[in-house]
Amino acid sequence: MRIETRRLLNRAFSSLGLISIGLMALVLVVILTPIIAKGSGAFVFRSTVEHRKLMFDHWNRGNPERVKQDEAKAAVARAPVYQMLSDFKAELESMPRAERSRYKKPLRAVETALGRLLGPNPGSRTPVLMRQQYGATRWDRTQAKLDNLLYSEEWDYSNPDALGVKVLRPRVEDFRTTKLEPLFGYVKANIKPMMRPRWTFYWQFLFDTSKDSHIFGGIGPEVLGTIYLTLGAMLFAVPMGVIAAIYLCEYSREGRVISFLRICISTLAGVPSIVFGLFGLAFFLNTIHVSNSKSVLAGSLTLALLILPTVIRSSEEAILAVPRAYKEAALSLGAGRWYTIMTVILPAALPGILTGTVISMGRAAGETAPIIFTAAVSVGRPLLPIEALSQPTPALPWNIYNLCTEHEAVDEIRHVQYGMVFTLVALVLLLNVFAIVMRARISKKLRG
Amino acid sequence: MKKVLLSAAAIAAIALSASAEQKIVIDGSTTVGPIAKAFAEYFMAAHPDVNITVSESGSGNGAKSIMNGVCDIADMSRPMKDSEFKAAADKGIQPVAHVVALDGLPVLVHPQNPIGELTIEQIRDIYTGKITNWKELGGPNLGIVVITRDTNSGTYETFEGMVMNKEKITEKAEYVGSNGAIRQRVQSTPAAIGYAGLGFVDKTVKALKVNGVYPSAGTVRTGEYPISRPLFMYTNGYPKLGSPVYQFVTLYLTEDGQEMVDQIGFIPVTSY
Repeated sequence: MRIETRRLLNRAFSSLGLISIGLMALVLVVILTPIIAKGSGAFVFRSTVEHRKLMFDHWNRGNPERVKQDEAKAAVARAPVYQMLSDFKAELESMPRAERSRYKKPLRAVETALGRLLGPNPGSRTPVLMRQQYGATRWDRTQAKLDNLLYSEEWDYSNPDALGVKVLRPRVEDFRTTKLEPLFGYVKANIKPMMRPRWTFYWQFLFDTSKDSHIFGGIGPEVLGTIYLTLGAMLFAVPMGVIAAIYLCEYSREGRVISFLRICISTLAGVPSIVFGLFGLAFFLNTIHVSNSKSVLAGSLTLALLILPTVIRSSEEAILAVPRAYKEAALSLGAGRWYTIMTVILPAALPGILTGTVISMGRAAGETAPIIFTAAVSVGRPLLPIEALSQPTPALPWNIYNLCTEHEAVDEIRHVQYGMVFTLVALVLLLNVFAIVMRARISKKLRG
Repeated sequence: MKKVLLSAAAIAAIALSASAEQKIVIDGSTTVGPIAKAFAEYFMAAHPDVNITVSESGSGNGAKSIMNGVCDIADMSRPMKDSEFKAAADKGIQPVAHVVALDGLPVLVHPQNPIGELTIEQIRDIYTGKITNWKELGGPNLGIVVITRDTNSGTYETFEGMVMNKEKITEKAEYVGSNGAIRQRVQSTPAAIGYAGLGFVDKTVKALKVNGVYPSAGTVRTGEYPISRPLFMYTNGYPKLGSPVYQFVTLYLTEDGQEMVDQIGFIPVTSY
């Protein structure tokens, strides 16, 4: 081959490599940017007085006097709204019946929209469902709910050959020349004093239990459940995996059985995770009954099976990478096989084993399919470690899916979804960083 | 050493059995899910020592779970089938039904769709694939995107029983896994048609009149709305009176329980 051709090929190859690395970085940025931008919205946002009321009522957070003051100030700003409403109701009473019924439906719509924005009317009975006990707790939701109060969405189907067109009709038009007419203008102009938005750092989002199926509160049980499941899986998979790897590398004699076993392990690594999930349900729950319902234990066992091949493989590679001279030196000094493994080979292989372990830990934390049938639920309390043996738990990967698709009020809780995604990604990222740091430290120590 | 281990095991066993009594595991329908979740929240607020977990995996799964003894309450949006009763009885499980709410099955389209009303026959023709364009029903010239639930779903079986009349759903239909997913699919696709529980209808989708009747509390309760059904919670035997499970499955009879069912969007079971 001529030298120019070789150079050209070389250059083409390296530029292809660069392009693919650049592409990967771009994808990472494209994926991570919205996750970080929107996910941080669950932690840092403009909270309204309703949020602070909620925090005080349910978690006893905040200075009682200041919360009271806050509420009182908001109540002062809101008073004219309720005054107009009751004035209008009095006006209704004096109307002839035919005219009264004309206002019935629009009035109910206004009252509902007002309830969603401000919470229940002062003095009325407290609703049972928590989502109706409070108005909009976030400023971004406040805007949406304000629009909902000011405008009714209608659809114009006048052109039968085309799709309808959305028409935003100001609700004020329903109430022209009545005592309710000024309400809309007033709410629009005074929304800030009524809701008193303020920047808040809600770090407790990570630890709080969810209230009213994730509409309020945080993701504490999910985070805890994910940690339990991951640690549980490691508890089973790491000892078994490392021991299996030691056996395969140091004790077993290469033969048909061992190579068959290796094929089995590689195959296991390629089995789709949902199959592990179904296996976990069929075996751990329905056959050997490790617990009498879904439980963290059953989920951990299933996840352990899922990551076992990765742990075995990475440990094996790490052990094989230990220079032969180490082993020979130890044996020549008269150390037994067991002693050699424990004092020479394992310590030297530790960084590699650890990396594989932590990477599979990240996988276990993020897997959804294996825990759907064995461990994960939509809502539940945070568990004590002892309860984890017999009880199921919410867990981040499953709840992300659940909130995105199954939840009845998806649009209300987008911030919780993003918060969960953000937390899960951060968790996995942290694990990986931890692995890198550990590896660096241990290999430094070993080099002396 | 042995003694320590034994006593540790004994303590663990006691702790386990103690905590086992304090849990109620609920599995099943995604339609009943919101009710179960709201009830669980309410119940746990009053009984802090009980942990209630709710999963939403579909009615079929709920039935299987209670048969295998891995849940205490199975939410179902359809009655149990004979085969399921038989399988349960074979395993020594006696399913008892508690009707916690009523539900209509609104047929949903995108709000942009000018169609406001269909007959059962038209809906069936859409789902069998005989009608494939909204134009045939007087709408715009748009191919219909048929969305249906997975076969594990009680909502699917209700729909199949009440609308399909034993005819097969077209192969072009798109199967999704939950009520929420149906709503999301319909709200993002102007040409779509789907169906879901009443509690999942909001202003992002449009419920159609079926045979001239709009699905509402009144029309469902009287049976005027043609696609309606009860929602169930199944327990193994009638729960022991006074037990947490008993209190939970009778919650729908209380005033608060009825308010919750109503506010979530379903229809409380009342005798007045």
